[in-house]
Amino acid sequence: MPRVLGQDPAGIVIAMREFRSGQRPATVMDRIAKGFTEDETQAIAAWLGAQKD
Amino acid sequence: MTALRPGRRAFLKTAAVGAAAALLPRPALAQATSGRVVVIGGGFAGTTAARTLKRLDPRLAVTLVEANAQFTACPFSNEVIVGLRDLGDQQFGYDKVARDGVELRLASATGIDPQGRSVTLADGGRLSYDRLILAPGVDFRWDGLPGYTEATIERMPHAWKAGEQTLLLRRQLAAMSDGGLVVISAPANPYRCPPGPYERASLIAHYLKTTKPKSKIIILDAKDAFSKQRLFQNAWAALYPGLVEWVSLSSGGKVTSVDPGMMTLTTDFATHKAAVANVIPPQKAARIADLAGVSDRTGWCPIDPVTFASPLQPNIHVLGDAAIAGAMPKSAFAANAQAKACAAAVATLLVGGRPAEPRLINTCYSLVAPDYGITIAGVYHPVNGQLVDVEGAGGVSPLDAPASIRAQEASFANGWFNTLTAETFG
Ligand SMILES: Cc1cc2nc3c(=O)[nH]c(=O)nc-3n(C[C@H](O)[C@H](O)[C@H](O)COP(=O)(O)OP(=O)(O)OC[C@H]3O[C@@H](n4cnc5c(N)ncnc54)[C@H](O)[C@@H]3O)c2cc1C
Ligand code: HEM
Repeated sequence: MPRVLGQDPAGIVIAMREFRSGQRPATVMDRIAKGFTEDETQAIAAWLGAQKD
Repeated sequence: MTALRPGRRAFLKTAAVGAAAALLPRPALAQATSGRVVVIGGGFAGTTAARTLKRLDPRLAVTLVEANAQFTACPFSNEVIVGLRDLGDQQFGYDKVARDGVELRLASATGIDPQGRSVTLADGGRLSYDRLILAPGVDFRWDGLPGYTEATIERMPHAWKAGEQTLLLRRQLAAMSDGGLVVISAPANPYRCPPGPYERASLIAHYLKTTKPKSKIIILDAKDAFSKQRLFQNAWAALYPGLVEWVSLSSGGKVTSVDPGMMTLTTDFATHKAAVANVIPPQKAARIADLAGVSDRTGWCPIDPVTFASPLQPNIHVLGDAAIAGAMPKSAFAANAQAKACAAAVATLLVGGRPAEPRLINTCYSLVAPDYGITIAGVYHPVNGQLVDVEGAGGVSPLDAPASIRAQEASFANGWFNTLTAETFG
């Protein structure tokens, strides 16, 4: 299972973009991703990327 | 730490990530003087708030006041009722919380003096605070349903606070003979866990179908619509045909009185005799909210959507089921998300900063069968003093999803529970 906390923010941003557009298969992340703009996603991804265990 | 995947601890960390992310770079925190925060209620909201505060600013003195040494979680307790889970899987202690530097005070809070900024405890103790966070959950309105009192919950369990009541309802179902009628009385909005009564009906139907197939279940409802309604009703038709009957408010579903001695529930139209009766009573914010003066005429607590501060009393914040959180449902996940946003706001306020607007996420899983899960999700933000849905986001699982997706959501539900409880209690 891929790790996202502490992971490359760019990857998270791309995944979120794909969840939003429906390109990436999802059960709930599509519905969640649509609640965040590109800018917000980048801020969150940067924050997540900076977190350690 | 871990993937944003169910079963992993990470994805909830992001439930109120907007607030936390906005807070962290603030230089103000570096020069913070310490403050005293008291949190009342060691449930999903209060425990999360206490730990998050300590993590955001280790110099804060944070005290968590909780009446019980062990917490019994309601999410997934419907599975306990039908024998799919043990009650022990629902129980959590506060060791980790104490290890995080939160001072744990096992006592019941009996009074609050908002002007003097102090809390009185049942053991005679007193705690003073700079900011108070109230997260006491719900109480039942014992005057809300004629015939239903604290003295009758042994006959007609509510099982809406998990613990002995959960086990009692489980024993009653197990003892019922095949062909018995199970009646659930569902309350009007708002109440703890909007999809809860229907998940419970589904899992009881699963139990009856597999062990007592001549039995039936009726839901007598005080409302005309409910959370994930079409998903539930489609699933009932597919999995439990003829077994589950839902009687809406306008078809006479509202229970107006009960007679626990006779095991009857009465509506304006009929009297139902039950073999097992589960009465989910009307609810309000727990009593300590009234004593603090933060509940309004509705019995619930209005809040500011950015800081969760009460408009009714200074320096008191209200979280979780007790709060009127706009479009957010009364769920454990929402309680956890609100707690993170509130902790960020309180830490900022204590150093004279201006709290950032949070963006909050809720996700509620319901099982209609052990391998059939459905969800409702929402993203919320403050608009004109209210927490409202972010437009275009959220919603329920698709109506036409294949069985494989339902099975996937059922397994994600387990990850959801493990993540949420690990995040809250450690
Ligand atoms: C059957 C059922 C199923 C559910 N399923 C789900 C689900 O799948 N997903 C979901 O997200 N939610 C679910 N919920 C809802 C969830 O349980 C609640 O929304 C959640 O517990 C609210 O958290 P809280 O912190 O506000 O209150 P609680 O978790 O109730 O915590 C309140 C705490 O405060 C303490 N307390 C109260 N007053 C005092 C006082 N005066 N002094 C000291 N301590 C005090 C109590 O002892 C308690 O520990 C379900 C609920 C039920 C009943
Ligand atoms: C807080 C509520 C959240 C829940 C319940 C949740 C749940 C899930 C689930 C179930 C998946 C698997 C895909 C699916 O079936 O939909 C997933 C994947 C993912 N989530 Fe979330 N998530 C949440 C929040 C977030 C947030 C705020 C972000 C980032 C901004 C995020 C980023 C991701 C990413 C990048 C993946 C893909 C992981 C991968 O496959 O590499 N999630 N999440």
